Order: sequence, then structure tokens, then C-alpha cells
Amino acid sequence: MTALLENLLDRAPLGVMVRIARIDWTAMSEDEGRRLREFGLMEGCEVTPLHRGSIFSRDPLALTVGRMKVIIRARQAAAITVEPAA
Amino acid sequence: MTGAIPSIALVGNPNAGKSSLFNALTGARQKIANYPGVTVERKAGHASFADGRPLSLIDLPGTYSLTPASLDEAVTRDVVLGKQDGEKRPDALIVVLDAANLDNHLSFALELLALNLPTVVALNMVDLAARDGLTLDAERLSKELGVPVVPTVAVRKRGMAELLAAVDGAIRSHGADEIAAPAEANDASLHQRARTIARAAILSETPVRRWTQRVDNVVLHPVAGMIILLALMFVMFQAVYAAAEAPADFLEGGIGIVQQWVVATFPDNFLRGLVVEGLLAGVGAVVVFLPQILILFLFILLLEASGYMTRAAFLMDGLMGKVGLSGRGFIPLLSSFACAVPGIMATRAIPDEKDRLTTILIAPLMTCSARLPVYALIIAAFIPDTNVGGTPVGLQGLVLFGLYLSGIVGALVVAYVLRRTVAKGAGAGFMMEMPRYQMPRLRDIAIGLWQRAWIFLRRAGTIIAMTTVILWLLLTFPQAPEGESQVEYSVAGRIASGLEVVVAPIGFNHDIALALIPAMAAREVAVSAMATANAIDAGDDEEAMAQSLGERLQGKWSLATALAFLAWFVFAPQCISTIAITRRETNGWKWPMFMVGYLFLLAYAAAGITYWTAVAFGLG
Repeated sequence: MTALLENLLDRAPLGVMVRIARIDWTAMSEDEGRRLREFGLMEGCEVTPLHRGSIFSRDPLALTVGRMKVIIRARQAAAITVEPAA
Repeated sequence: MTGAIPSIALVGNPNAGKSSLFNALTGARQKIANYPGVTVERKAGHASFADGRPLSLIDLPGTYSLTPASLDEAVTRDVVLGKQDGEKRPDALIVVLDAANLDNHLSFALELLALNLPTVVALNMVDLAARDGLTLDAERLSKELGVPVVPTVAVRKRGMAELLAAVDGAIRSHGADEIAAPAEANDASLHQRARTIARAAILSETPVRRWTQRVDNVVLHPVAGMIILLALMFVMFQAVYAAAEAPADFLEGGIGIVQQWVVATFPDNFLRGLVVEGLLAGVGAVVVFLPQILILFLFILLLEASGYMTRAAFLMDGLMGKVGLSGRGFIPLLSSFACAVPGIMATRAIPDEKDRLTTILIAPLMTCSARLPVYALIIAAFIPDTNVGGTPVGLQGLVLFGLYLSGIVGALVVAYVLRRTVAKGAGAGFMMEMPRYQMPRLRDIAIGLWQRAWIFLRRAGTIIAMTTVILWLLLTFPQAPEGESQVEYSVAGRIASGLEVVVAPIGFNHDIALALIPAMAAREVAVSAMATANAIDAGDDEEAMAQSLGERLQGKWSLATALAFLAWFVFAPQCISTIAITRRETNGWKWPMFMVGYLFLLAYAAAGITYWTAVAFGLG
């Protein structure tokens, strides 16, 4: 279980590219899920978490998807399981 | 095709450069900003084809898909589907894509193409894509999509003629009966297709430029970035004072010369009094603050245009999340530092309803530019123009900074309470695209500044001039008998004496009571009202007239009263326009009434506490 937790996007180390293995769509509202897909965050795509906005919390998280940089909240990132990029 | 002028809609993702393209095609003058969600209102303009036939263009709010997440995105969907009231369905679409962000923007393009309207794709910002090491094959893209693709650079007006020619061709070759309803596409498969097409169209690609990443490593750092943000805001407020001083003195001197000229040239009658004491003293006292307001707007426009604003929103999200808001709210709130009206309108981009309501309710707590004249007058009169210790930090600027900060802290506390009481709801989300850094364009900034200056001067010429004239009449009649103060004896003076009973406990004197009522129309009227009352008081006394308003107040008010007056204006909801826009944006009187009530309560308490504290320290 611990090993699994470490593979969530909100815990992923900054600056290291990872591949999205699975997204738990049930953990977020339909609108949030759609916006994630509109940003290009889907199973199989590669992302690089880059910045956290606060030292006190894990919120928010800025990451690159392709050539785009987007901001999401840790709550959504926690629903995304990642694996090392090839 | 009917014989009417064809209407063409610009559609695309946020940050695709739609507004710039719209400006390039129409020559229309509006604001271009870098963050998603600025294009809320309907923007329409005219252009013509190469042979001179006219066409009309509308610029639709940027969105990621035809499934809207906020009010402005719903407008885009409704217009392209022909469901928007009072708006006919466009005859053709120009789909705007950011060339450097193809795989992402293509998903929405595919969704729009499925509508089967005559469509042309503008492959925008190809120069920036090239700068980032990206070479694209427009012809290949055109073949994949089945519609014309025209490379454009909107800010340099490159590709505009080709774009319009392609639109003309698309309308001509299109049968009217082919228009389809939106396809029920699975969005995952849509994105998959978009990515495949993008891969095919990209000829060569180098990794994203590193320098912007290095900049972001500092600017978005939770500690360093926050220090930079605070420093930027601090410099902004210091500059409002330091840089505006010379032009403000110049304006003030000019108005004084005109006043003296009128007094010397015309006989003493009713009209001369109205012009000198009413219009020139009242409106002049407000116009003097134009340089400060322009400097404030210059900073805000530069922050928007450079792409920094979204970064600031990112940094602020942690703090705003703690009180139940989101970083999304930072942009409307920062706009509210200029004026709460556009700020409240910008909240339409906030998807969560309760988050939006709370942001609207606290927007008037951000220190808008209408408060600047009040703050500037009182600070200049009562706070010594010295530096703090041996530092280059001016004490006056520091006090101003403190007032801004009080408004912000007040807003955070109020938001915290509201989100747990009247605007209860689940934690708001925060999902936003971060635009690339861009060099602000001089012309856009100049147009933006000109628009602000014009709005301010028009307000000074209408609302402020009118309330000032009415106030002058109320102050002039009935005429006081010899030996009695005209201001005390007049209708306005008597009303103020009634109000004084209520506000005396918090240290407010007759001057302030007199200024508070007309200031309901707009905050800066407080300054013009006091200027008019003092001008009447001075009468033809040359020496008194030569004194500035600040100098006269210095002699009459205690420091405790001045500080209480400043504290009052941090909270008081004295602005008809803000109340009206809140009614419109919340669909009823309930929330604007609530807003006015809580803000007056806070204002009274804050002024009272300030006054009593200052008196306790011997400043009364």
C-alpha cells in the first residue's frame, strides 16, 4: 500500500518526467475530469511536475504536459497514479 | 448563403491569441491579456474581403471544448450551436490554434469541425513556435483536417489577407444543408486523434526553451516567488506616490491658476461661485489624482500582458485555498485594485458558484483606484514626508501599503467566515493553463492606459461633477446671516449635523459627515465634497483660497480623526456602480444588500477601533 501511495502524482518528485498509468475518475467531479482531459492529462501521457505553490501544503501543483504548463490541485493529483517514464 | 453580410466567429482555446487576431482583422481597440477568461463580453467588429465586400466578426470566449465549465464558456457553445438568444448562428468559423500547442488545441478544433460549418483554421503564433524550435507542416495539417489551414502571426498582422481569402472560399464552396449537430464524441478518443494528427503535422521539434523554465524556477518558488510578488506590489505602491508627485503638483497648480483667473475676470455672482467653488474645486480635486491612477494601471496592465498574472495566481492559491477560495479568484481581485466593477465581471471565469459568490462579496475590499484620491489627500496632509529610519522607504508609501494590506487581510477573514456560513460549499478547484512569457506590446499598453484615463475623466466629468454641483447648491442655500458659518447654516450642513450624531463616536467631525453622503455615489466624491465645502468656507479670502485642501484639513482635524477616516474607507461600500454590478451578477438584491450591510458594519467598527486606539495614545 505504501509503495502504491508513493506512485501518486501529488507525491511525485519535482522535475522528473513520469507517465500517467491510471486516473481514478471517480475521485473527482465530472467537470474536473473533463478539464483534466482537456489539458491532455490522460492515461499514457507523460508529464513533469515542476512547482508547488506553497511550502505549507502540496497545493497547487504546476506541471508540463507536452508544451503546455498547467496548474492543478493536489486533490486531483492524488487521483493520478504514475509510473517511471521510459 | 444569404445576401446578408456574412458573420464569422473566432473560436479557440484560451491563450491561442484570439483577441490579437481579432484586433489584427478588425483594427478594433480592446484589451489583450495573457490569462484565460478575460474575453467575457461579446466583442464584435467589421472587416472586409479583398474585393471590398464587408463581413462581421465576433470574438468568442476561449474554451477547451463545447462542454462549458463556466458562464463565459457557455456563451461560446451557445453561439456556435446557434442557441444564443439574439445572436444568429455564424456563417463560418475561424478556429484559432496556438501553433506551439498543437496536440492540445486540436481536440477542440476537431469538435468544432464535426459541426460541419464552413471552417478555416488559423495556425497562430507560428513565429513563437519557431522560436521554440518547432517546425510545422500546414499543408499536411490541412489534408488531415480537411479544411484550409493558414499560418498567421496576429500581433504582426501576418497572414490576415490569406485567412480572409480562405474564409471566403470556404463559405462559397459550402452547401447550406450540410450543417450538422455536434457529434457525441468520446473525449478520450478525440484527444487521441488530435495527438495523432499533431504528430503528423510536426516536422521537427526541439525541447522546450530552457530560459523560461529557469525564470519559472525562481518566480514560482514558494519562498523566492512570494518575496518577488510582495516586492513587486510594494514597488508598485511606492511608485504610485513617488512618480506621480511632479505631474500631480503640475495639475494642481494649473487648476489653481484657472480658479484665480475666473475670480479676477468675472463679477462675483451665482455662476462664478458655481464654477470656482463647485466645478473647479470639486472636480479639480479628483482630476489631480489621474497620474497616480495611471501608474497603478500601468503596473496591472504590464503584469497581465507579460504572463506574470497567472504565476501570481499560482503563488496565491495556497493562501486563498486556506480561506476557501482558489487562485482563480486572484485575477478578479487584483483587477479590483483598479476598480471593483471589472473585477466582479471577471469572476464569471470562476467555475464554482459559491467560490464565485464569495469572490464577488469581497471584491470591494480590494483598494480600488477611487479610494486613492481619499487616501492620497489624507496621507499627504497628516503623514510626514520622511523616510522610515535610515532606509529609502518612504513613510507615506508605507502607510498606503498598510491600507492596501488591511483591505486584503480583511477580505481573507471575511472570505473565511462566508465560506463557513452563507456561502458554504465543497473546496473550490483550481485548474488553469499557464501562458508563456511574452514581451508586453507598447501599443496595447498605451491603448489600455488611454481607456482607463478616459473612463476616469468621464466619471470626473459626469457623476462627480453632478454630485459636486448638487452639493454646492445644498451648501449655498439658504444664505447664512452675517456672522454665521455658511457651511453650518446650509441645507447640507444641517443634514450633516444630523449624521454627525451617529458618526461622532468614531471620531468623525462635521467635515466628514458632510462628505459621506455624496460619497455614496463614488468614493472620490468625498474629496471633491470637502474641497467644495472648504472653498465656500474660504469665500473670497485670497489667502485661504491659495491653501490646498490638505493644508486646510491639517488645521482642523486631529491625527486620530484622520486615521479613523482612512480606516473607514478601507471597508465602506460607497460606490453605486459596484452595488449595481453585484445586483446584475448575482441576479437579485439579496447579495448586494448583504454586501452593503456587512461592509458598513466593518467600516464603522474599524474606524471606531482606530480612533479610540489613537486617542488612547494621545493623538486625539
